[in-house]
Amino acid sequence: MIKVSNLSKKIGDVQALDDLSFTAEDGKITGLLGPNGAGKTTCLRTVFGLLKADTGKAEINGIDVAKSPIQAKQELGLFPDPFGLYERLTPREYISFFAELSGLNRQQAKEATSQVIHKLHLADIADRRCKGFSQGQRMKTALAQAIVHEPGNIILDEPTRGLDVMSTRVLRDLLQDLKTQGHCILFSSHVMQEVAALCDQVIVMANGKVVAKGSPDELCQQTGKASLEDAFIQLIGTDEGIAA
Amino acid sequence: MINRILTMVRKELIDAARDKRSVMAGLYYAIGTPLMMCGMFMMLISQLTSPDDLNIHIQNPDKAPDLVKFLASSGINNGASSETPGLKVKEIYLTIADDYPEQMAKGLRAEVTLVADNSNEKLQKSISRLKKQLQAYASEMGSLRLIARGIDPRVVQPLKVVVEDQATADSKGGIILGFAIFTMIYAVFISGMNLAIDTSAGERERNSLALLLSHPISTWQLVMSKIISVTIFAMLGLALILIVSKIAYAFVPWQELGFAVNINPSFMLVMLAVGFPVAIMAAATQLFVSFMAKSFKEAQSYLTIVLLLPAALALAASYDIAPDTLQWLPVSGQQQALMAYVKGREIPLVQLAVSSLATLGIALALTFGLERSLKSEKIVFGL
Repeated sequence: MIKVSNLSKKIGDVQALDDLSFTAEDGKITGLLGPNGAGKTTCLRTVFGLLKADTGKAEINGIDVAKSPIQAKQELGLFPDPFGLYERLTPREYISFFAELSGLNRQQAKEATSQVIHKLHLADIADRRCKGFSQGQRMKTALAQAIVHEPGNIILDEPTRGLDVMSTRVLRDLLQDLKTQGHCILFSSHVMQEVAALCDQVIVMANGKVVAKGSPDELCQQTGKASLEDAFIQLIGTDEGIAA
Repeated sequence: MINRILTMVRKELIDAARDKRSVMAGLYYAIGTPLMMCGMFMMLISQLTSPDDLNIHIQNPDKAPDLVKFLASSGINNGASSETPGLKVKEIYLTIADDYPEQMAKGLRAEVTLVADNSNEKLQKSISRLKKQLQAYASEMGSLRLIARGIDPRVVQPLKVVVEDQATADSKGGIILGFAIFTMIYAVFISGMNLAIDTSAGERERNSLALLLSHPISTWQLVMSKIISVTIFAMLGLALILIVSKIAYAFVPWQELGFAVNINPSFMLVMLAVGFPVAIMAAATQLFVSFMAKSFKEAQSYLTIVLLLPAALALAASYDIAPDTLQWLPVSGQQQALMAYVKGREIPLVQLAVSSLATLGIALALTFGLERSLKSEKIVFGL
């Protein structure tokens, strides 16, 4: 479970987060939806303790990230934007490296890596160096890295950017799968379809604030619109920075 | 805790070993420099040990055949009489007076005239060489004349100057080896440099730094693992240059200089031990500087400037500039201690200890700085 309470953060002159509060439950997919520049990435980075909030706190399974970052991060998996691949390592080495960093020993890391490679159908590229990988292959490698240690909470920053249909499907299936296993999944996106198709709960962000939260249906009802897209535009008051 | 550091060090080393840029930088330096030094030494030796024949113009040589023979025995020849085509004859003229034989026979002063451009620097060495030989001939003739008159020649030589060269064979080589040692110490800076940039500025450029930091590792572990990796690379570079030097220097004909530059196992061990703190400091400095940079190229340009400082210190030490101050400072202190060791003198242990501690102190301070900077949002995200 990821709980964010009253987060505020100023970067330069911009109020990136403004009294932000929400909860992402276990066994649910929570979407952080907002236009470009709404503060989604800043919010996720604060959850990871990479940015310090001016006020407020973020908790992972009840652990305050700012106070015990190591323990809190133990419970997290991150699919970052950008991916941050090591081009000279193979996916197998890459995934197993991060598995060890997340606390698995070498043997466990190797086994977990083999499993996740199998699960994500990475076997054909697992022992090739990442240099020259396609966007889809990169995405799968980064995703494998995020889930290899089977963290209770998985955070994905703009996961579907630049993916073709097949890769998007792999990602969706995996997220559904993780959800049924009881993981807490939080992802940020500005792509409407993806959010509508996947999320149990949507948190709409604009200018660092939560504008609305609820399931896609609830959001439509709240605004009296037929589609999530219209509801969203109604909520944030503009259609700027939104991909249909 | 330790496991995570080991994991990261292992990953860094695998990554670096596959990075052509990192490996080549170390290799080129470690292999190229000793070979270059050998070439330089060989040229130097051939210049010092076999002075070329000095060919001059001797006018009227038949008037003083004995003097001409005497000069020829020390390599000063009459170029005008030589039939070798293309022979280089220096613009030095030695004219023997027409009355030379008569004056000599009478036991009077015979005149020889030396004509040369004294302001021509290239000629000065040759002129003084010729003068020295002429004086030697004159004093030999003088002694013979005294003996012929029944006088001990020592009467006119009240001073007997005895020059004893205290320089041992090794200490003469020390100056040359001073430069060789400098190139070895510098290997520590060069070999790890590319890895240091790649693992810091490169990590930022690839956006993998934020991903690393979002894992349950402390910034201390991250900093330690990076310093350890770069230090390992630097020490490998140092070991490599020692091995290459050992092989390459064996081909230099040292015996012609009258001393030997000998890279023996004990020197190699001392060099590795003394170089170790320097390697740690080099790693910390390079990482600290390149974490400030956002890209590989930016880091490279900063480091080029920063690396001038240890080079200046080490070179100053090998040329004996302000030796009293430099022996306490990092890099130059180690350089002086190593030079003392090479010259067969006692290693100045106190100075070596102080400069090594100073070296480690700088490394530690920079490590703290690094750890702090990795907590800064500005460094990690460039905000």
